[in-house]
Amino acid sequence: MTENSSFFGSDWLGAFLIIAVLFGGFGGFGFGGGANAAIDVGAAINNQTVQQALGAIQLSSANNNYETSRLIDNQTMYLMNQNNTNLVNAIQGFNTTAQTITSGFNSVNQNIANLGYKMEECCCGIKTMLLENRLQDTQIALQNEQNKAINAEQSAYLLSVMGKWVANAPATTAAGA
Amino acid sequence: MQNPMLSLLQSGQSQNNIMMQAVGAMMRGESPQAFMQNLAKSNPQLQGLDLNNLNQTAEQLYAQNGQDINAVKSKINQFIGGLK
Repeated sequence: MTENSSFFGSDWLGAFLIIAVLFGGFGGFGFGGGANAAIDVGAAINNQTVQQALGAIQLSSANNNYETSRLIDNQTMYLMNQNNTNLVNAIQGFNTTAQTITSGFNSVNQNIANLGYKMEECCCGIKTMLLENRLQDTQIALQNEQNKAINAEQSAYLLSVMGKWVANAPATTAAGA
Repeated sequence: MQNPMLSLLQSGQSQNNIMMQAVGAMMRGESPQAFMQNLAKSNPQLQGLDLNNLNQTAEQLYAQNGQDINAVKSKINQFIGGLK
């Protein structure tokens, strides 16, 4: 825009006229000309100041949003790490408990095995004792039978020497002959 | 020395008023049709108007509303003159 004549010959005039009638653009800015120029500049500067303030507020809000997001992220990560730590500790606790139970079962199994061995050993001892008792009884019986035989021989000998007849003397004599 | 208001308009720092936006666009050498068509995207009162023939459209609007278009042209003349 260098000359009024070119402006008034262009479509910008139509654009301004349309804006003026539809948006009421005459009230606030510049159409008074001359004496209103200072007011226009003041309004523009004030508008710039407001925009700068709004920009500062927006920047502050953005910073606050960033800081809030950062704190939330940090807190979220802290909680996640804490939960993970708790979970790991819980799993480790379970592992320790499982190991303790397994160790206990191992001990129980060993004790059962030992008990089985002792029972077998005890059973074996009992069997041995029974066999020994039976052997001893047999030996005693044998000894008794031997004693009886000896007594019988001695009795027969004595009776033959003494020349006495007993009811079964012939048999004894025959046996002795 | 350049008009301080002209400096503000050319720097695009007064964008919240439609009239000031139009002046800024004009200062930067933009097309009035393109500016109005872009403005119509967010302003329903512009939609349906013939934005390719702005002077003719303006004449029709003022005639329909019974307003004096020449008086408005005079004010625009004073305003534009103040910017030079």
